[in-house]
Amino acid sequence: MRGKKFGDLALDGGIYLILIALGLITLLPFANVLSKSVSVEWAIVSGKVGIFPVGFQLDTMQFVITSEQFLRSLFNSVLIVVIGTVASLLITALTAYPLSKRELPGMGIVIVLFIFTMMFNGGIVPNYLLIRQLGLIDDLGALIWPALISVFNLLIIKSYFESLPPSLEESAKIEGARNYTILFRIILPLSGPVLATIGLFYAVYYWNDYFNPMLYINSMSLKPLQLYLQDIVINADTSSALNGSTDNLMNVPPEGVRSATVIASTIPIVLVYPFLQKYFNKGVLIGSVKG
Amino acid sequence: MRKSSRFVIAMVMASLMVMLLAACSSNNNGENASGAASPAGSAVSSEAGSPAASPEDKPSLKRLGVWQDQDYNAYPVAKMLEEKTGYKVQYDMLPQDWTEKLNLLMASGESYDLVSMFSDMALYSDYAQKGALIDLTPLIDQYGPNIKAAISQQSIDALKVDGKLYAIPTSVTYDINSSILIRTDWLEKVGLQMPTTTDELVAVLKAFKEKDPGGNGDQNVALTGKGDQAMFDNIVGAFGMPNTWNEVDGQLVPRLMDPAYKDYVAFVADLYKQGLLDREYVANKDATAKEKFNSGKAGAIIVHWADIPTISDALTKNVPDAKFAFVPALKGPAGKAGFSSNAGFDRLTIIPKASKHPEDAIKWINASLEPETFKNLAIGEEGKHYTAENDAYTPILPAFNDERNLANNFMSGADEQSYPLYWQARVRKNPVMFEAFDTLNNKQPDEVKIQNVLGLAPYMQQYSKSNQQLEAMVTDYTVKLIAGAEDLSGLEAFQAKYKAAGEEASAKEVNDWYANK
Repeated sequence: MRGKKFGDLALDGGIYLILIALGLITLLPFANVLSKSVSVEWAIVSGKVGIFPVGFQLDTMQFVITSEQFLRSLFNSVLIVVIGTVASLLITALTAYPLSKRELPGMGIVIVLFIFTMMFNGGIVPNYLLIRQLGLIDDLGALIWPALISVFNLLIIKSYFESLPPSLEESAKIEGARNYTILFRIILPLSGPVLATIGLFYAVYYWNDYFNPMLYINSMSLKPLQLYLQDIVINADTSSALNGSTDNLMNVPPEGVRSATVIASTIPIVLVYPFLQKYFNKGVLIGSVKG
Repeated sequence: MRKSSRFVIAMVMASLMVMLLAACSSNNNGENASGAASPAGSAVSSEAGSPAASPEDKPSLKRLGVWQDQDYNAYPVAKMLEEKTGYKVQYDMLPQDWTEKLNLLMASGESYDLVSMFSDMALYSDYAQKGALIDLTPLIDQYGPNIKAAISQQSIDALKVDGKLYAIPTSVTYDINSSILIRTDWLEKVGLQMPTTTDELVAVLKAFKEKDPGGNGDQNVALTGKGDQAMFDNIVGAFGMPNTWNEVDGQLVPRLMDPAYKDYVAFVADLYKQGLLDREYVANKDATAKEKFNSGKAGAIIVHWADIPTISDALTKNVPDAKFAFVPALKGPAGKAGFSSNAGFDRLTIIPKASKHPEDAIKWINASLEPETFKNLAIGEEGKHYTAENDAYTPILPAFNDERNLANNFMSGADEQSYPLYWQARVRKNPVMFEAFDTLNNKQPDEVKIQNVLGLAPYMQQYSKSNQQLEAMVTDYTVKLIAGAEDLSGLEAFQAKYKAAGEEASAKEVNDWYANK
């Protein structure tokens, strides 16, 4: 009896160890870039930097995070993420709420129209022409307004709303609440987990988006962080036929600078996750409907 | 209820599809119509151009340039050019990953007056053939005396598409890219001279391997390379194939079809077999190969001279008394030697059809090519940005770096006579790099600089279409031969496959042009 228990324990321990080791392996590339960002350049290009830094120094990191262009890009990205996420959540929730009311006439068709846009779109050039007609070229708005509603996220919120017990609304109506009051005072406060999840989706989307800024943003002062990062990282790829110009070869930023830029632009979004964690833990309908 | 709503959905979907298709086709019509209308439009405007040429009437121009890490508009060169040319220019730039955005801007008819891009001949020819660009010949005749003086007829001919010129080029500024970089302190230690023939090279590499002058033990590598490079510069020239296509009996022949291909492969495969070429050569990436040389574990590597500053910094930190130099042209068994010598263009400047001021764009380019202005643009002011001694221009740092380092991005065409000399000031920013550059480009005799004639060939459809794929095939196959995964007995079969994959059509096209050059 005892022996068996011990065997189980050992097995569990072994599995845990293996899984932890596997989990740590996924951190290796990150650790490598991190240690490159704080190592001296000659050690990096000599292949001496692995998981641990060689010749620890913070000058590269300081150079990167105090450069004017980096700070401006970071500011732009934060602005886009904050405005974009808040606006997207609001508009998506406002759209999802009526769509969750199956009994309203024509809702089925409206949903199909939304889904249609998931599968078909106009393509790059028509989109560009549209954005230009709207006067949004070289404007941060071009990165936010067209992306306000992601239909996928809309459907998730919609089905969450549908899962809320109808008795909540009924009792609110009996108390004399109007539709807006019901949405903002009852439905949304109960939707913390889904809003946090979708909010995170939106925030990550806005943060990671480099393609739209590449198309619509021309001024350096309006470039978000991902575009800045892409320019730096691609630039270093001297073997790429894209930029076969020798003057580019002579102006390649050092590997250390690139690593530091990657780290500096990853950390802010990683920091967001712990802050949203508490919403995921809370139960869905704590104490709203009894019985 | 359910059934009927499904039917409604189907109807809505169908009608939306129809609308979408209609929108697409009307879009196409629109493009065709504008394409047909614009040649007439440009003809009218170039006629109207001459009376409007009063000096006061200078519109503001919009110029799109390649990516750089600083704002064009705030860079000192922008102000200098505005003063000298009298034109106010608003500069935009492409992202680093530029082709997609440029295609988008061209397709949507964004009204840039000038677009300066890297020399992508396929893209350029595509724009020209689709009627997206303005024919520059009449404009240059009328407004471009400096442009005419700066650009050679040879370059103009190479850029003609269907007999018309649509771009002003910045030609390449130097001949030779890369060679074998060798540790000269290792040479001293093993008591050998700088190799001058392929046999001597083998002897040197053998000594590197056996005597281990770097004290690296079993990590010692004589010559390292990367797995995506099958043709080793300098060595491949010693077998008479410095370029991707070389002349054999008056015809241009790609390396794989070259009679010398077998000899070259046998030579390099032998290096590999003897362990003189890095055992991990096939798996090496560019960075791994450099790491081996930088850390002092490899005695020789093939690199571009622009890589020298990084290599030099790292190597001297790892091995303080390390010295290195490029190996000059090696003589092969048949007495041949040579490097591929660059020909063609670094940048192209085009004027899109959508430009609102094509004449002024040409006038601006012309003004920027006025010799004094151009010199100021290229290297700045004497005493402030550079010092001159005969024809050697040395940059004054940091003024040159701060105010002229990115100046080449502002050029729309360059003087083919003077610019290569001005340009060397950029290489002189780093003395170690300049020494390496000088060995390859200024100290090598002219007969080993074998021009890559295809660099100046006009756009050739078959060649452009299949060239990249064919090159990849050859690299892949050659690496396998070198590493012993394939055998030379299969060469004929592979050559047949290669011909069928597009070489035959390309070779006909290339040689039709070459015969009438």
